[in-house]
Amino acid sequence: MRDLGIVFVAELVRKLRSRLFWLATAGGMFAIAVLIEAPLFFSAIAQSSSSDIVLAGPPSLVARAKTLMERHKDYRVVATVAALPPHVTNAYLAAHGKAGAAIAIAERNGKLRLDVYPRDLSAFDGAQFRDLVPLNIELATGIAAHRIDGAISIDRAIHPIDEKFADTRTAALAHGVAFGMIFILYLAIIIASQSVMSAVAEEKTSRIAEILVATISPTNLLAGKVFAAAAIAIVQVGSWFATAAVLVPFAAASPIFASAATGSEKTGAAALGIDPLLILYFIAFFVLGYLQYATTYAAAASLISRTEDLGTVTTPVILPVVGAFFVAQYALVEPDAPIVVACSFIPFLSPFVMFTRVAISVVPWWQPVLALLIDAATVAVCFWAAGRIYRVGMLLYGRLPSPKQIFAALRA
Amino acid sequence: MLVVDRIARSFGNVRAVRDVSFVVERGSIFGLLGPNGAGKTTTMRTILGIYAPDSGSVTWEGAPIDLELRRRFGYLPEERGLYGKMKVKEQIVYFARMHGLGAKLASTRADEWMERLAVTQYATRACGELSKGNQQKVQLACAVLHEPELLVLDEPFSGLDPVNAETMLACLRDLCASGTTLILSSHQMFQIEDACNAFCVVAAGEVRARGTLADLRATFPTRTLRVSPDLPEIRAVFAAAGAREPVVNGSGELAYEMDAATDFGALLRSAVAAGPLQTFERREPTLGAIYLRAIGETNGLVAR
Repeated sequence: MRDLGIVFVAELVRKLRSRLFWLATAGGMFAIAVLIEAPLFFSAIAQSSSSDIVLAGPPSLVARAKTLMERHKDYRVVATVAALPPHVTNAYLAAHGKAGAAIAIAERNGKLRLDVYPRDLSAFDGAQFRDLVPLNIELATGIAAHRIDGAISIDRAIHPIDEKFADTRTAALAHGVAFGMIFILYLAIIIASQSVMSAVAEEKTSRIAEILVATISPTNLLAGKVFAAAAIAIVQVGSWFATAAVLVPFAAASPIFASAATGSEKTGAAALGIDPLLILYFIAFFVLGYLQYATTYAAAASLISRTEDLGTVTTPVILPVVGAFFVAQYALVEPDAPIVVACSFIPFLSPFVMFTRVAISVVPWWQPVLALLIDAATVAVCFWAAGRIYRVGMLLYGRLPSPKQIFAALRA
Repeated sequence: MLVVDRIARSFGNVRAVRDVSFVVERGSIFGLLGPNGAGKTTTMRTILGIYAPDSGSVTWEGAPIDLELRRRFGYLPEERGLYGKMKVKEQIVYFARMHGLGAKLASTRADEWMERLAVTQYATRACGELSKGNQQKVQLACAVLHEPELLVLDEPFSGLDPVNAETMLACLRDLCASGTTLILSSHQMFQIEDACNAFCVVAAGEVRARGTLADLRATFPTRTLRVSPDLPEIRAVFAAAGAREPVVNGSGELAYEMDAATDFGALLRSAVAAGPLQTFERREPTLGAIYLRAIGETNGLVAR
């Protein structure tokens, strides 16, 4: 344990002194701040919104259209005029409440006729004017628009049967949060595992390994490195979460996010609607996932003799983490699909997939517990196997060893 | 006492060490010699317990080498094994702590050794910024700070200029005087000839010669005789004694390769009688000559 501690502290100090660590940490915090605050910033400086409309036409028609368009808050009529100029320009829109479009409304041949002048063409298509269908029917049939509107509106209530989320809005928010957390999980595991890989490759190629292996047990050496990188990664991810926790309440208080956040009076994870249990799952799956990948990466790095060979051994070990990330994306859509459920118990995939499932759906309690147990057992096997490959690999120079040689090292 | 007893170690189909045995007395300096690929490094790594031998054994004071014992050993590998970005003193302290020293003692000894090796001014510099020679000194400090019982040095003089090589040699002698047993390999024969108490020459994974310099010389079959001036009468004396054609060196001296059993006293008397003899010097074989002869059997070289 003393050896492990010495290696752990030395590795920790080395990594904390690394400019790359501070760059990645600060860069991550900055990126998160930008992601949270950018919509507020851009909405503040935006010249117009495509939902802000200038309506032109006969006053009675315009009044009825305005009522219909604003009833679901899809549009905001910022100005009404009797007629539009022959050429509608951006300057005209800017002068009329910074509108995103001007719409001339008229009755023609017993039907509604719209002439739309949008600032952004891609923001308008036919489907966006469904709100005006009752008015169109009124003009064709003479039945009052409000009666038609009443007739086509169906009273409905959605009752969640899994009780995980109170409503569809919370469920959608949880998906967004889950995606963000999976992405952070993926980034943290990749960064930390590659950091271990680089450290091992440095010791191997500079022959420091020769001295170290002659002095302390390779398992302690490997464990010291892996745990130090884990501690660093936890600090890094913690700083990213802390940034989000500080900034989200401010963002949530703004009108832009008001409809998405659960309440501006909440702070930190609560403002994002994150269940504290989910944070615990995140930490558990991060630690176990990281340990699986880091030990594998370290064993792979111990097989190379030159840093140029790092790419050769990186490819086979990076595929599982990329694959796991993609399966997790699918799990966001179909959390209970048989393939997703199966993958949530497969080592290396499990940390991503099971975490996604517990984040967005109701999973029987025994499933994450079983997944954690499988992951813990996998970590033990990874340490055992990596320790053996590492012991042999660190002193092996020349060509990359064949699979047969690696198998022999495991049996030794 | 270190006993290396018939160790063998293979890597796949390559038999790096076939049958190597030798004994190193405590408090002595032992030279392990051999050409590149002879098995020196594998032998050293086996002594240090980095490799387990396929057969044979290594013992220190009668005990097999284990991790606890290895902590009391020191190792200076052939290639620099330093963290390029770690500061010099931190690096020395780190390796000392790996060998079981407390942080405070490691720091104190690091200061002492840096001063001794004249690298104190680089204490806070990153090792990667140092010259090759200074890196080698730092590497030595890393290997000796814990006052090892056995110090194994693989090519310690490699890359050192003559002044630094002398500094290194002086340090090694001091360590030996303070009780450390040293095993070193080197291709610089002239440097280790005087420093080592005993030698072992390995080639192709096998021991070709071993013993003290006196032992090795005693079994050497010839002696070099330097004679001047180069006169026909003197040449005739040597021809009559069965000597082969001499080599004439730059200063006109004749160098004869004579059988070690030759009666040099009788030959001297004959040469004095033959002419105005100025030089008659019998030279013992150098370590280099002994080494070349030992490995020459394998490489087809002619031993001189």
